[in-house]
Amino acid sequence: MAMDKNSTKYTFIFALIVCVICSFLLSFVSEMLRDKRELNEALDIKKNILKAVSLREPVDAKATPEELLKVYSDKIEEIVIDGEGNKVEGEVATEVERAIKESQNNIVPASGKDARFPLYIYKEGDEVVAYCIPIIGKGLWSTLYGYFAIEPDAKTVRGVTFYKHGETPGLGAEIEKDWFLDNYKGKSIWDVDKSNLFPVIVKKGKVIESVQSEKDHYVDGISGATMTSNGVTAMVDVWLNAYEVFFSKIRK
Amino acid sequence: MPAVLTKQDRKLVKDALWDNNPVTLQVLGICSALAVTVQLKTALVMCGALTFVLTLSNVSISLLRNFIPSKIRIIVELSIISSLVILADQFLKAYMFEVSKALSVFVGLIITNCIVMGRAEAFAMANGPWKSFMDGLGNALGYSAVLILVAIPRELLGSGSLLGFKLIPDAMYEAGYVDCGMMVLAPGAFFLLGIIIWIQRAISGYSEAN
Repeated sequence: MAMDKNSTKYTFIFALIVCVICSFLLSFVSEMLRDKRELNEALDIKKNILKAVSLREPVDAKATPEELLKVYSDKIEEIVIDGEGNKVEGEVATEVERAIKESQNNIVPASGKDARFPLYIYKEGDEVVAYCIPIIGKGLWSTLYGYFAIEPDAKTVRGVTFYKHGETPGLGAEIEKDWFLDNYKGKSIWDVDKSNLFPVIVKKGKVIESVQSEKDHYVDGISGATMTSNGVTAMVDVWLNAYEVFFSKIRK
Repeated sequence: MPAVLTKQDRKLVKDALWDNNPVTLQVLGICSALAVTVQLKTALVMCGALTFVLTLSNVSISLLRNFIPSKIRIIVELSIISSLVILADQFLKAYMFEVSKALSVFVGLIITNCIVMGRAEAFAMANGPWKSFMDGLGNALGYSAVLILVAIPRELLGSGSLLGFKLIPDAMYEAGYVDCGMMVLAPGAFFLLGIIIWIQRAISGYSEAN
């Protein structure tokens, strides 16, 4: 061999070659599979919207992507609203949502007339069954992405899902499990006494042990995942407040 | 076995499967063995991913073994292993999205699976590519065998199904049968793993003291 294997120069050159080959290979494969991956992710998002709104006739777990997309396009109407709660024509909800996800300050949604929010409406025929909004916020390690659906009275929770996060399996990652999500169903986001918004709070411990007045607004916490639970509480609060202008219009 | 496999090749695979099994004898790779064995399907995919990473990392590190500068040996091994893991992860995300979501971080964590690093450092750095391939395959199969042995009772007793098919008839549930909740949790895997290690060592006569 021409060069001394233990020389600094050889070491550097070798490291460089390994890095270049590895990164080239990875970016090539990643680029090659990008379309397929994005298709899966888009489908997964639709699946989660359908799950959040709790379809009257749930989609079979073994449904093909085509069947799922058909149910989605039949039942879900995607609209865009502005910060004052008025419908905006000519904009696509999924693209508005993508823009929110890509913006740096996605934890605090914008407000005012120029702000844009996606809204997914579940309809059976002409009857509105649920409104579904995205919820995005920080957990402990990662950003949590999910959906929050409420009944047409704009007071009662219909369903919640989380579809993307990087929390610890067995602890924070429990937020995507049914036992946690089912907690939310039927809870109230409306404080009857004060007539104002009261977003659902993730409690420490079990709701059943708390006082009656709290039961409607609290859900069972996850032991060992206080930070994730607090993150969920905060993001539900932030996004419900952001949509409150719209919900106050439909609330009777 | 085909004739191309010499006695030595067979010994490499057999060793890793039985006499020197990475999980039951060396007690490596326990973290993922606990995490992904609630269902047989996730366990199988994990085994596939690990087999892919372990055999290819062993082969490529063995091919490079005479060129890798010893000072940066570990980091080069790690670069190759992590590249392969990311490749496996990308393919899972593209073609097996549901399973990849269920496996969550554990595919990525193959990078830190001691078996992969251990075989690269202990075997591939000192042996030729074919032998390294056989060694990687043997160790991956040894790991897979244990994972599957843990996953089958866990899914069967914990969820009453195998590969998602309900095996316990509804009549049994109506008669008062209840799924064993512990099998779904990590302690279930600990007990099973302990029992498997016990049985294996009882048969092979291995003991730490020797």
